[in-house]
Amino acid sequence: MKNRSWAQLIAPLILLAFPLFVDSDYYRHVVIMALMWVVIGSSWNLLAGFTGQVSFGHAIFFGIGAYSAGLLKMHLGLSPWWGMLLGGPMAMAIGFVIGWICFRLRGPYFALATIAVGEIFHLLFKYFNNFTGGMEGILIIQTFRSKLPYYFLALGLAGACVLTIILVMRSKWGYYFISIREDQDAAESMGISAFRYKSLSLMISSFFTGLAGAFYMNYMAFIDPEVVYSLHYISIMAILVGIIGGVGTIWGPAVGAFIMVLVQETFRSSIFGLAPDWVSEAHALVFGVLVMFVILFMANGVVGDWKKITHLFTGKKQAPSTNGSAA
Amino acid sequence: MKRLLTMTLACAVGLAMLSFLGCSSEQKTEKAEKAEKAVVAAPAGDTVTVGIILPLSGGQAKFGEVEKKSFDMALDEINTAGGINGKKLVFMYEDDTGRPDVGRSAAEKLINKDKVVMLGGGYSSSVTFAVAGVAQQNRLPFLINTGSADKITEQGWEYIFRLNPPASEYPKAVESFLTEVVKPKSAAILFENSNFGTSSSKEFNETCQRLGIEVVLLEGYEHGGVDFKPLLVKVKEKNPDIVYMVSYLMDASLLMKQSKELQIMPKAFIGGGAGFTLPEFIENTGSAGNAVFSATLWYQTLPYPGAKEYYDKFVKLYDGPTEYHGAEAYAAAFVIADTLKRAKSFSAEDIRQALAETDMTTVFGPVKFKAYDTKTNQNDVATYMVQWIDGNLELVWPETHASKKYMYPIDWAAMWGK
Repeated sequence: MKNRSWAQLIAPLILLAFPLFVDSDYYRHVVIMALMWVVIGSSWNLLAGFTGQVSFGHAIFFGIGAYSAGLLKMHLGLSPWWGMLLGGPMAMAIGFVIGWICFRLRGPYFALATIAVGEIFHLLFKYFNNFTGGMEGILIIQTFRSKLPYYFLALGLAGACVLTIILVMRSKWGYYFISIREDQDAAESMGISAFRYKSLSLMISSFFTGLAGAFYMNYMAFIDPEVVYSLHYISIMAILVGIIGGVGTIWGPAVGAFIMVLVQETFRSSIFGLAPDWVSEAHALVFGVLVMFVILFMANGVVGDWKKITHLFTGKKQAPSTNGSAA
Repeated sequence: MKRLLTMTLACAVGLAMLSFLGCSSEQKTEKAEKAEKAVVAAPAGDTVTVGIILPLSGGQAKFGEVEKKSFDMALDEINTAGGINGKKLVFMYEDDTGRPDVGRSAAEKLINKDKVVMLGGGYSSSVTFAVAGVAQQNRLPFLINTGSADKITEQGWEYIFRLNPPASEYPKAVESFLTEVVKPKSAAILFENSNFGTSSSKEFNETCQRLGIEVVLLEGYEHGGVDFKPLLVKVKEKNPDIVYMVSYLMDASLLMKQSKELQIMPKAFIGGGAGFTLPEFIENTGSAGNAVFSATLWYQTLPYPGAKEYYDKFVKLYDGPTEYHGAEAYAAAFVIADTLKRAKSFSAEDIRQALAETDMTTVFGPVKFKAYDTKTNQNDVATYMVQWIDGNLELVWPETHASKKYMYPIDWAAMWGK
């Protein structure tokens, strides 16, 4: 445990100092992407890992955030940076409405509903192409040539997101969330309004995912419905980030985000050009193998099963796991 | 416990072996190349590296493959002929997997980490759009060979050049064929809901209105569907004179197969490029694909120097036919080589200057970048029309260049055997 609190102190410091030591824009770009996924993964984890409501539709909030920024630029000619203000609240409002409808369902039925709603958004944004630009997408020009503003913005977002989740989970709300995850009926009989706290959890979660979306618009400078409302590349990726890192742990998604982004980028570029070309062609396969491996041997993710991993190397007997997992 | 350890070890060993295998087989060349790449940053070295971004995996991999093979073929010829003023030309490929965000990562890597002197490639419109944004911002010349959304060359970006015509111009030849031969009164337009599909269909819709053809159906569909019958039943109800489709490979094949099943018999089926010209199209569809027209940008019998030779060599080397995408890539490689030869230095500004002054003839026709209408740095390309006749893709329009007389009117009932 002591090691871990050290890691919690040192990791943010390393990230703060990272651009001082690495001035390659490419590596900075990779870390920026990882930080963005920290935000999305942690948000997903608040809802799914801590509150037990597994969402397959986080692309909705991501897309709403991204389009808030993009549409401001497209229709009003405003700077897409205003989207950073608007994206979060917009996603939160949509999140509330979706929760109001979908929280009537429980467990896998809720998950299925979120897939459906996600696809509805995907199609709506494609269909109303006069308003959204449809598949021609929205393209802007990045404000800064340097990566530094984006880097620190992403770092700030990730920090704010993780910190909020830590604070929430330490407050009364956190206990309510977990009680709902463990047994919704028991929680209700204790006087906890399941609907209210599930909604609160979803709203915090969608707020940060929306912010990440607005950041994506500003940083990547190109969006279309296929990119931001993608079931595969946003919704499922958010789940994978959570599973790899550890569902229901504070730091799990943060670790998971770095693992996923690094693995993807490493294999896509054939281990940075060191390995033969066919390695890059197998990058989708590597994802699959990684996920299977984690599910089979580390069901609680890298962070959740950290003890298990360290014991492998120190040879100590495994302590009985106390870390409950929701998924 | 032990099992877990063994498992981890096995995995580690496996991975290590993989990387060793990879290294040992290509160790020499890889290492040599690494060393060379390092020198590229300083133009004094003896290689020049150009980054090429193509979809090598994912849904568009088929097209990316044809283009990569063509790039490789051209590269070999360029280097055999002395490279770039004695320096060896190297193409560094990056896979964009068909996604704009990955394309952006790839472009960032090529520009900032590998320090390529310019960029090439660009297949899908949305990926190309995103990559073009990165190139323009980093002030590095980017020669697009396929990405065709009109908007790309309408931004006034001085570092972005395009070899292929914008999507809206693909059906130019179709237009004259329609007015002179088919003279249709109504049309149905089906398009894939993608950047390319949307902008092409929009343009064709306007063309129809200009020609006084009534558009009875204008409908997009989701790429990768398995059942287009609900859509095609609508087409059958409206009974249009022509059916115009903008689709990639699998959808194109399926649309034709199911049209045959539903016995939809317009005066002509016309494809808007992309999937309809690939050799796999006729393999997948068989008789259902016969007599289908398609807009195209290139055909091997065109009187461009080297066109036929390129086609024959490709067939011999890779044991399969090529089409306009391949020709675009092959031509782009030679434009890149020509530009680098003429550039005063390998600085981005000098290369941009040289690219802008390009005036050469390739297998894809004459290449010259001009500003017209709202576009800048756009190559003006003639378009053609092809038709599948007895399993072969034949150039049928304009008639002056035709490899075979077009097959029209078409007796679908006799051909489909019902």
